[in-house]
Amino acid sequence: MDFDFEKYKTQGIKVNYYYICKRKLWLYDKGICFEKNFDRVLQGKILHKNAFQREEHKDMLIDEMIKIDIVSADHIKEIKISSKMKNPDIMQLLYYLFYLKQLGISKKGTINYVKEKKVVEVELTEEDEKEIKSALINIRQILMMKKPPEIKKLPYCKKCAYYEFCYAKEVD
Amino acid sequence: MFVIITYDVSESRVNKVRKVLKKYLIWTQNSVFEGVITEAKLYKCLSEVNRIMDKREDSLYIYKVENPKNLSKDVLGICKNPEDMFL
Amino acid sequence: MYKDYYIFSNGKISRKENTIYFEDKEENKKPIPIEQIERLHFFGEIDLNTKFIGLISQYDIILNFYNYYGYYIGSYLPRKKNVSGLLIVKQSEGYIFHEKRLFFAKCFVESAVFHILRNLRNYKGKTDEVIKEIEEEKQNIFKAREIDELMGIEGRIRKRYYESFSLFLNNDFGFSKREKRPPTDPLNALISFGNGMMYNTVLGEIYKTQLDPTISYLHEPSSKRFSLSLDIAEIFKPLIVDPVIFYLINNRMLKEDDFDIEEGICFLNDEGKKKFIKEYQNKLETTIKHRSLNRKVSYRTLIRLECYKIIKALIEDEPYKPLKAWW
Repeated sequence: MDFDFEKYKTQGIKVNYYYICKRKLWLYDKGICFEKNFDRVLQGKILHKNAFQREEHKDMLIDEMIKIDIVSADHIKEIKISSKMKNPDIMQLLYYLFYLKQLGISKKGTINYVKEKKVVEVELTEEDEKEIKSALINIRQILMMKKPPEIKKLPYCKKCAYYEFCYAKEVD
Repeated sequence: MFVIITYDVSESRVNKVRKVLKKYLIWTQNSVFEGVITEAKLYKCLSEVNRIMDKREDSLYIYKVENPKNLSKDVLGICKNPEDMFL
Repeated sequence: MYKDYYIFSNGKISRKENTIYFEDKEENKKPIPIEQIERLHFFGEIDLNTKFIGLISQYDIILNFYNYYGYYIGSYLPRKKNVSGLLIVKQSEGYIFHEKRLFFAKCFVESAVFHILRNLRNYKGKTDEVIKEIEEEKQNIFKAREIDELMGIEGRIRKRYYESFSLFLNNDFGFSKREKRPPTDPLNALISFGNGMMYNTVLGEIYKTQLDPTISYLHEPSSKRFSLSLDIAEIFKPLIVDPVIFYLINNRMLKEDDFDIEEGICFLNDEGKKKFIKEYQNKLETTIKHRSLNRKVSYRTLIRLECYKIIKALIEDEPYKPLKAWW
């Protein structure tokens, strides 16, 4: 079956959130309770600003949809604060590679974990493409839900910017 | 956390460094700033300072106290810039 | 970390070196660290310009203005950068559907009365009768079918509550009943000032979320006030403001000379305001262990958490249960 990319394409951050937490994805999409002064969010922002200041092609907005940190001749690079969310980071980058491929551009990707001085190389395989397609279909379904997906307790909930939002309740 | 920042910066750059620190902390004495600050704000502050400093000539010390309650401060003589919520 | 600054002196506030400077009439200049400001409160006569407004807007800092008597005049709120269309639709829905609106309104009153009774129970022996009366009146909350009715019940409870203050407060400055416009005695002046501060604090917390402060449930949405702030303040006035007042009076920290009377209006003078604000700030920063979050949160944070719970109810995530202080 043909995959209608135009219908399913979305922002990279949403692919990232999809792999972190479906509820976060929904809330983020609706613009609810994202705290930009949350310490971790702020740290990430500054890190982004500081890293690779000399790079020429930074924060490239492509197709008015995806924003790639750094683009060079044969690579795209993403900058991340820590490697704790490695899988979502990789999926986000694979999505960018997939996106570029739809535009007829083929590149490789790297994730730079600046604080840990670690670099992860990523290449798009056929298997990955299948995975991305099904993720995009699922993302669209989640975003069409009338109310947010229920809380699913995850080991990293406590560190999330939405922790207080999700878990604030009255106990009897 | 509570931080005390002291610095020794060449005259040509010292004003710029002081300007950055003023956005985040209270200037308490010549070349000394202090105050309560979060991890991220401190990181932001230091990354701004970093761009101005010349690491071969200048120095900046950061003293941190994780819990501000564990800190006591006495002043002899005049208290130059008392931190106060009332102006 | 973030701090409220209260400016009582007359002078000028301006942008300088990418931060804020306050300069009083004697030309004493003082920098205020822009990165650490929660809000600025202007009590004195202060000059400011658009360059200053530009900078504080970048940092989303709210300005609150007060008149000569210390009454709140208004606020400057920087344009919001994070809005949620969906939430505004849902918030309006909550107002339009009578059952939904009534439910929220009842919750606010119920929580307010819970905290009123909690205060009164601290003075057992002196307040037994009034507690009994309020508990009886409280039953009517659940029966109410109209907002007016609910407002009436709330009004009667609050009246009984205020009247009872003389039973347990050091009655140095005489108090019989609540008078709002304008207050003519010190205790009324104190309550008015405290409630004004609470309104501001709640507005500041609402502003941090995507709730629209003009759409409210207990109070009629009004064009004069951010009425959602009035709604939520009902919960927190007896939890935060009243205990501060009791503390200041019963420990004789506030004296008659902290108040001025001019043309029949009684108000806190600058010394009095500072005494109140100091304790009020202490209270806001006091932390308690939150049971569902399993971490320490301040009273100020509790206000924001209340906003979160309201949002969750509006987006049909979780039914709303108002705060009932458990500690």
